[in-house]
Amino acid sequence: MTVEKPKIALFLCECSTNISNFIDLPAVADWAESTEDFCFVEVSNLLCSPDGKKYFAEILMKHKPDGIIVAACSPKLHEKTFQDVAEEVGINMSRVQMANIREDVSWVTKDKTKANEKAKAMIKAALRRVILAENLEKVTMEVISDILIIGGGIAGIEAAIIASKAGRKVYLIEKDISLGGSVIKIEEVAPNMECAPCLLAPRLSEVRDDPNITVLTNSEITDVLGFYGNFLVKVRKKARYVEETCIGCEACFDVCPVTLKNEFHLGLGNRKAIYTLFPGSVPAAAVIDKEHCKHFIDNSCDACVSACPFGSINFNEKDEELEINVGAIVIATGTKSGDVSKFDELGYGKIDNVYTLPEFERIACSNGPSGSKILLKNGEKPSSVAVIHCAGSLREDGIPYCSGICCFGASKVGELVRKQIPEAKVLNIYNDLVFVGPKINAFYRKQIEEGTRFIKCYDLKTIQVKEKGDKITIEGEGFSQIEADMVVLSTGLEPASGTKELADLLNIDLRKDGFFKADHALLNQTGSTLEGIYIAGCSAGPCNVATSVTRARSAVGDIISKLIPGREIELEILTSVIDEEKCGGCKLCISVCPYKAIIFDDEKNISIVTEAICRGCGTCVASCPSGAAKAKHFTDDQIYAEIGGLLYG
Amino acid sequence: MDNFEPKIVAFTCNWCSYAGADKAGMMKLKYSDDVKLIRVMCSGRIDPQFVMDAFREGADGVMILGCHPGDCHYRTGNVKALKRYKLLRKTLVQFGINDKRLKLDWVAAGEAELFQQVVNEMAETVKELGPLHLTGNVEQGGK
Repeated sequence: MTVEKPKIALFLCECSTNISNFIDLPAVADWAESTEDFCFVEVSNLLCSPDGKKYFAEILMKHKPDGIIVAACSPKLHEKTFQDVAEEVGINMSRVQMANIREDVSWVTKDKTKANEKAKAMIKAALRRVILAENLEKVTMEVISDILIIGGGIAGIEAAIIASKAGRKVYLIEKDISLGGSVIKIEEVAPNMECAPCLLAPRLSEVRDDPNITVLTNSEITDVLGFYGNFLVKVRKKARYVEETCIGCEACFDVCPVTLKNEFHLGLGNRKAIYTLFPGSVPAAAVIDKEHCKHFIDNSCDACVSACPFGSINFNEKDEELEINVGAIVIATGTKSGDVSKFDELGYGKIDNVYTLPEFERIACSNGPSGSKILLKNGEKPSSVAVIHCAGSLREDGIPYCSGICCFGASKVGELVRKQIPEAKVLNIYNDLVFVGPKINAFYRKQIEEGTRFIKCYDLKTIQVKEKGDKITIEGEGFSQIEADMVVLSTGLEPASGTKELADLLNIDLRKDGFFKADHALLNQTGSTLEGIYIAGCSAGPCNVATSVTRARSAVGDIISKLIPGREIELEILTSVIDEEKCGGCKLCISVCPYKAIIFDDEKNISIVTEAICRGCGTCVASCPSGAAKAKHFTDDQIYAEIGGLLYG
Repeated sequence: MDNFEPKIVAFTCNWCSYAGADKAGMMKLKYSDDVKLIRVMCSGRIDPQFVMDAFREGADGVMILGCHPGDCHYRTGNVKALKRYKLLRKTLVQFGINDKRLKLDWVAAGEAELFQQVVNEMAETVKELGPLHLTGNVEQGGK
């Protein structure tokens, strides 16, 4: 029995003169002919042009080769071009092998003779490789077009609204008891000093009333399985002990005997054991703080039950475990203010009237703990306020980076103070100032005109905030001692708590600074490192409200352009597979897979690749001691063949 | 020794180092004619046996070029490559192969000059070492 020799066609592209100028293609063609390895050898020109592709297709139809070598440019440029033509004429894409004799030879070789030899070696390698090609099949899967959004701040809310408008079903998950995030805690958003609650209120109502949006507050993600187009997300919806019939009338607040620090006011005011974050919250229903409620502690109180006009209190409510099926996930978990309590010299937590910038925002807020009045602890108005920029930032033992937006917030303090106390002196101590863009820079200049003094400190680490009677003194390199009634520490922004845990659950990467890493820093800022998972708002790095919202729109825009109901998505073709017969069950592959794409079948004692998750890196194949794992189109045999061909002769 | 033209195989990953080589091409940066590339999707795909096979098939030097740590297209494939490389270099010595004949480096897609530099340096190193003469085990070793 004779084994029929595979028919291989070899195209040598001149690429205008890019290749033919340096490689003697007719000589290479003669050599190829002499090897008798090819059914077709020809030097052609501009094979990637429309005419070239047409000619390419004609030759393929005529010769029906088992393998095709295109000795031309980089496969990264035109492999797909020629694969597509091959597919059009009924030849599997795997049969096209490029030999990159332009980028790797004609453009970089010093010696013409050696260029010819190198080109031949590469063609030999391609020949040996293409003979072993196995057909690749495109696999498609119908997508789930529903979207999960994690985080109910301004970015998450925007994402939910936009996605719903595109007809998508949205799940909006928030770990706090109602929506709004950090922005709802701000009175006025610079530079236009727009009222933040006014920006958010209509959006909150829109989310509440949208049948496409399911809001799950007081909820957290417990597990995420699956892949782009088909994620299964497990959610724990914690019991509120107050039913949805509650409209947030607050009748129960007065009768509740337990007083606790109010987290919404960042601990500056009080709340009861039954509470809402603010009037008009979404959802409107209150929540009982089980840990502190006397009913749950010793069954000694049910005052809220009788006070409630709607009979909404339900002590028997249980946590719910939900399973949600979505095609894409948007992370909008935001950011948190850096911790400055560890820097003794800044006096935070030790000296009265030393506040962080977010705390000051609460104090200045109309729904704040002191009813919008900027007051000192003793109830008097401050006559002077000092703001310290970069507090705890730009230092290795704090936040080592510039958050980019705090200078703006810090310069707003003067505006808010003067509004209430026009005669008050406001003084900002800085080392670096970041006011980028015409509008933001104009806001800074306006503050100077209106009376805020900006004083340079040469080294922020030298700053000492001390108590001196009723006053606070500030010393530091570059300025003489300053006295103030109130000090505001402009803290930087760090990733929200739970960011690391969420990244682990979702199997995506974080940057060095701890925020979620973008797929590409320039081209795809709102894609995470895993397809189908997106990052919006400050979860993708500290940013202002406008950027937060823009990121949300960008993320959802990308999702709705890809996840279309009824549409099928193409899965990665070049995945790895594990041969059941050969697998020894050592699980090495599972330990090296960057995507958790390999699962273990306990019954059969073998590892199995979930091809929809596999991205095809082939790391499992390199680690498999029994040769059971195979990387499609990059099999061991193909690579050995390529090595052999390249080193031949 | 002056006429010695070493054979060097460079395994390059599709996303960074191969793209870096492409860019070197586009910029017409000449580099040693002795270096020939094999494209794999990720440096994590490179089985130590590929390296042994290349030596067996006549390579005088082998390179593994991947994305910089933290930039791997597949998250951590390059880190796996690094771990294998460290072990492999020790093994090479046991086979009587100077460990300088194997080099791992990181080249990003934009780092055409760096690509040129690392492959030229490798070519110089291998040239100084001279041709590789394998003895016993490696030559016979099965795949």
